[in-house]
Amino acid sequence: MSDRKIFSVVGIFDSAQHLMNAIPDIRKRVNAPLEAYTPYPVEGLDKLLGHRKSPVGGMVLVMGIIGALSALGFELWTSGRDYPQVTAGKPLFSWEAFVPIMFEVTVLFAAFTAGLGMLLLLNRLPMFRHPMLRSSSLPLVTRDRFALAVEARGAEIDVEKITRLLQEFGAKSVEVVEEPAPAGVASPKFFLRTLTAIGIVCILAGFITYWTMKLFPIVKPMVHMLDQPRLNPQSPSRYFSDGSGMRMPVSGTVARGSVPYTIRNQELAGDLVNPLYRTETVLRQGRQAYMNNCSVCHGVLGDGKTSLTKAYGAKPANLVSQSIAGLPDGKLYHVIVAGKNAMASYSAELGEDERWATVHYLRVLQRAANARDEDIPK
Amino acid sequence: MNKQPGVRGMGADRKLIVLAGAGLVGIVVSWIVSGGERFWANWILWFLFLLTIGLGSLFIVALEHVVGARWSIPLRRVPERLSSLVLIVAPIALLALLSLDSLYSWTSPEALANPIIAGKRPWLNVPFFIARVIACLLLWGLAWWILVRGSIKQDKTRDARFNLRARRFAPLFMIIFGITITIVAFDWISSMEPEWYSDIFGVYIFAGTFLAGLAATTLALLYLQSRGRLKDITRDHMYNLGGFLFAFTVFWSYIGFAQYMLMWYANIPEEVFWYQERIEGAWGPILLGLAVFHFLVPFFLLIPRDAKRDPRFLFWTAAIMLFSHWLDLYWMIFPVLDLGPLFGLPEISFSILFVSAALLWIRFSMTRGADMPAGDPLLSEGLEFRL
Ligand code: HEC
Repeated sequence: MSDRKIFSVVGIFDSAQHLMNAIPDIRKRVNAPLEAYTPYPVEGLDKLLGHRKSPVGGMVLVMGIIGALSALGFELWTSGRDYPQVTAGKPLFSWEAFVPIMFEVTVLFAAFTAGLGMLLLLNRLPMFRHPMLRSSSLPLVTRDRFALAVEARGAEIDVEKITRLLQEFGAKSVEVVEEPAPAGVASPKFFLRTLTAIGIVCILAGFITYWTMKLFPIVKPMVHMLDQPRLNPQSPSRYFSDGSGMRMPVSGTVARGSVPYTIRNQELAGDLVNPLYRTETVLRQGRQAYMNNCSVCHGVLGDGKTSLTKAYGAKPANLVSQSIAGLPDGKLYHVIVAGKNAMASYSAELGEDERWATVHYLRVLQRAANARDEDIPK
Repeated sequence: MNKQPGVRGMGADRKLIVLAGAGLVGIVVSWIVSGGERFWANWILWFLFLLTIGLGSLFIVALEHVVGARWSIPLRRVPERLSSLVLIVAPIALLALLSLDSLYSWTSPEALANPIIAGKRPWLNVPFFIARVIACLLLWGLAWWILVRGSIKQDKTRDARFNLRARRFAPLFMIIFGITITIVAFDWISSMEPEWYSDIFGVYIFAGTFLAGLAATTLALLYLQSRGRLKDITRDHMYNLGGFLFAFTVFWSYIGFAQYMLMWYANIPEEVFWYQERIEGAWGPILLGLAVFHFLVPFFLLIPRDAKRDPRFLFWTAAIMLFSHWLDLYWMIFPVLDLGPLFGLPEISFSILFVSAALLWIRFSMTRGADMPAGDPLLSEGLEFRL
């Protein structure tokens, strides 16, 4: 006998019945894992061998749930927090839109767990050569014999005793199968490690790309969405007969939700009444609209002092001046809708409510510019 | 004939007849008290409930012949007997035609002012509707005659030619089934809101129908077993039934959600109002209940391998699923009344009448033929089925 480790002691039986009869007796006398090799699936063998229920089901369930939750978390974070973007007027956190992806990721996690869990964890792959493949018993099994193996799995086993037992309970012949010689560099372990390393590199690469794009927005790895053939605002188009890419509304129509504004003159607009109450939400909305649309010219404080002023040529009005503070709401509203001299109309950018909210916010700016002592919070 | 345990106790039949009588009185009273519209909504609901069980069972039978399944042969007699429900729904369907005036707004002449409904006129008109109903009933009767009566006759004749005939007819039935179930979905349910339209609606109703057939088959099979019949059907057979239930509860949810999500996303008034009516107010909790009991509960209950093999466990899961199927139909039909979810005297009396009448019919059908298709030459192979 060589000094290699024993993998298993294998007994060959003539029929499935002989094999099944021997198993309970041998299990009683030997305290080592058993494995059977048969030319076709034999009903009830698993139970006799005392194999535990496969843990794959549980693993799949747990990983499936983890998959669903991580997809949900990822979606909430990407489209709700990290890069909030309204799609089709739906709320940022719309679970309906998330479900298909959750479903797919659940299936992905579950399927990978089932496949890889079975192959790597339970079947102990990659294994280049199973010791049994070089035994002389396996060719018999592929014909018409049935084999029962008492496995060592790294522990010491009493070969003589097991041989005797196998023969006593009906084995026609017994073979001792040895562990294969240790493999060289290209061992299964080496492959597993390489795979793991590739996985880690992929994940790291993902994070690095994410942070570079976030911290240095100048790096644009993917510009497909910018480069697509499309009509930009005010770009010409050969498709339409007037050569213009932008379309006028169909005559006689009004966009959904918009009320046509018919006042032609700022003087006549003075009677309009601001329909919004000054609630916190309205003021917040007004500030947002002001910051986005007006502050470039009129300045964040409304005093008309911005770096843009010089380049722009015209002088934006000082909105916190006495004269403008004295104008009624309606006249300010009119300027937003109709524009004034060098200032263009903002009716396309701002909806009805936003315009009135902006007017409220102008009052806030005016009050702030002329703050009194009692306005300062304690 | 030797008396098997649990064969047709007359006592149970008499109780059911009394119950059905009480239900009958109840529905007459409810017609007087709460009017025709609600009466017909209940009528359609129960008509469709029984029809989907029968049709789903017939589909199971045909599916076995199409794919040449062996494992299900020993329990085939159960869906075969249940499928006789498609016969008894014929008079119910014909009476349901009386509801056209009150529940189906497209029948009124004013409806034609609506261009959407006017455009559907070639399909949605009373003569054609009635023709479709009758054609469907005849086709189902024909399918039942070929697949089920032939099988029952085979018990005596032991003539293997039946298997060949069934195998040849079953693929044809699949086409008939696909078309008629879509007609049921579009005509009886979706045309209650004639402006509404959903491509996938037929598939949705198919999912519910197959599930109803499976759940009823499982319930009947396990009940018969508890009565000492069909002893040779093993837990491995049950496992397969459980697997089907599991798969198709997921399928139903998949289709149902797909329909909902597309409409929710597009948010087009002509489509989305259907869901709006069925989510607002007290319908919201019912929809939620549907998600929980039609999907979440059966899904998680049926995951473990042993759950699909445990008769008691499987029985209750199937019962939940059959109830959820009823709730599904209720949720689709009753919002048409515009009264919110109702469950009062009319609903209770209809439930009593139709459940007891259906049970009577099923008990009667359970006496037809042997408990297993004894003449099927492949029966023994089915009995040997192991996982
Ligand atoms: C492109 C720069 C620019 C932007 C952006 C801009 N304005 Fe102006 N605005 C001007 C100029 C220039 C004037 C002075 C026009 C004049 O009186 O000749 C002006 C004048 C005004 C006036 C005074 C009108 C009057 O009656 O004297 C108001 C009020 C005003 N803007 C409000 C707004 C609001 C609100 C916004 C944001 C929606 C806004 N502006 C955005 C350039 C701008």
